Amino acid sequence: MTVETVLPGVRDNTKPARATGPSPWRPVVLGLLLPVSLAVGWEIAVQAGWAEGRLLPPPSRIAQTLWSLSEGGELLVHIGATLWRVAVGFLIGAVAGIAAGAAAGYSRIFRELVDPTIQGLRAIPSLAWVPLFILWLGIFEESKVALIAVGVFFPVYLGVTASVLGVDRKIVEVGRIFRLKGFALVRRILVPAILPNVVLALRTGLGLGWMFVVAAEIMGAAEGLGYLLVDGQQLGKPDQIVAAILVFAVIGKITDALIVAASTPFLRWQDSYGAGN
Amino acid sequence: MLELRHLSKVYPNGTAALQDFTLNVANGEAVAIIGGSGCGKSTLLRLIAGLEQPTKGDVLVDGERITQPHPAVGLVFQEPRLLPWLTVGDNVGFGLEGVPAAERQRRIHDALESVGLAEQAGKWPREMSGGMAQRVALARALVTGPSVLLLDEPFSALDALTRASLQDHLVRLWQDSRPTLLLVTHDIEEALVIANRVIVVRPRPGRIDAVFDVSLPHPRDRDAEDFESLKHELRGALDRSLRDQNRAAG
Ligand SMILES: Nc1ncnc2c1ncn2[C@@H]1O[C@H](COP(=O)(O)OP(=O)(O)O)[C@@H](O)[C@H]1O
Ligand SMILES: [Mg+2]
Repeated sequence: MTVETVLPGVRDNTKPARATGPSPWRPVVLGLLLPVSLAVGWEIAVQAGWAEGRLLPPPSRIAQTLWSLSEGGELLVHIGATLWRVAVGFLIGAVAGIAAGAAAGYSRIFRELVDPTIQGLRAIPSLAWVPLFILWLGIFEESKVALIAVGVFFPVYLGVTASVLGVDRKIVEVGRIFRLKGFALVRRILVPAILPNVVLALRTGLGLGWMFVVAAEIMGAAEGLGYLLVDGQQLGKPDQIVAAILVFAVIGKITDALIVAASTPFLRWQDSYGAGN
Repeated sequence: MLELRHLSKVYPNGTAALQDFTLNVANGEAVAIIGGSGCGKSTLLRLIAGLEQPTKGDVLVDGERITQPHPAVGLVFQEPRLLPWLTVGDNVGFGLEGVPAAERQRRIHDALESVGLAEQAGKWPREMSGGMAQRVALARALVTGPSVLLLDEPFSALDALTRASLQDHLVRLWQDSRPTLLLVTHDIEEALVIANRVIVVRPRPGRIDAVFDVSLPHPRDRDAEDFESLKHELRGALDRSLRDQNRAAG
């Protein structure tokens, strides 16, 4: 009785405190304050003639460049070429990373046989592969995709291995008590248990995929956002370089958000935890 | 009938957890195993549940030898061990794969209702308190209708009030469906509230030290005089067993 009459009072005390808490927009507004005022300041400085803006073009010039690039459909071609390389490389690297990582996490003998080699290969800076890939696969798409796939593979492999090894033995026993074995145990216990970490590993992998597509395209491509960077450098067009960088940032963010969105329905149980706090 | 015949368990690292443990439990009986920590109580339940293999001896349920988890044997762990990615209802229904959806839903509902959580099926495990989570775990074990129910210190992590209410609840559940109950505990009162028979185990290696028959009718009044005197008697036996163990160790 007394317990029940005390509880609502406690709850009442916390409610107003929450309502007066910081607005959810606060971090967005504060976070944007610095870059937006720098951009506006630079624009004003160049417009007013205080600065030349030749090496670092003001926002209006970059917007103009973006507009003229997209008008003729040229920008879309470059975006398409880059996206295609990242997509194929990511797919190959992610599938291979998940398969090898799951095998290494699940099977001790596989881990003992294969993991030292993979760790050894991982010690090689990925860009060191480029000459070999070009000799093996030529200078066109294949060698670029291979480099991206290598970049994606290692973080995915590491993340998946660690998450399989980290699955709580106590949870696995729940599956065993209900007589789950082999594939059923994998499907109903292991996969859902590792999913949050696999998503994290895929996002890290994708980030590296974007990093390596830039490297691959800078080293020689006839199209792609990386080509725009090199072209801008060789022809002295910093506005084109900055425009390409911005497009990289936006598309990289979008693809990352796509992974998050695709995994959200399966990770709702985690969100509820975050929401509860 | 649950028969444990000369069970011994030596772990690969050389720890002798259990030695020559023999016990028969009739169908519908409630037996409590009591002893200090490390005396092989969990090992005993894991052997009966088929999670571990005995080094020597056999476990038989209605004449059938247990070598792996068996549908007739349910186990509630010391922790709830709910699967965080399933709702409370789906956790309870975890062992009902292959059961038609409508039937599955009905059984989940009945099991949750029997532990007083019928309204919570849609919640996530994260949203459950310790006592609620352990009741969900109990419902998960009950939903498949096991004839032997093993409980490994199921209420030891809960506060005293919740613990007492869950003990009473367990007694009612047991009276309703009468599974064979094997309850591991280190709580004297808990053993006496629930069991028809209390078995004191002594450690290194775990073996039976003393056996008490408890003939008080259920539900039992924790403050009744005969309950109190049984408590004294059992505490004496437990103390003796612990003292012997310390002397042997020292
Ligand atoms: N998997 C294991 N490997 C090695 N030793 C174990 C293992 N499980 C338990 N033991 C040991 O066996 C003994 C009995 O353990 P346990 O059955 O958990 O006791 P209790 O449940 O009574 O506390 C302890 O000494 C413990 O350290
Ligand atoms: Mg134990």
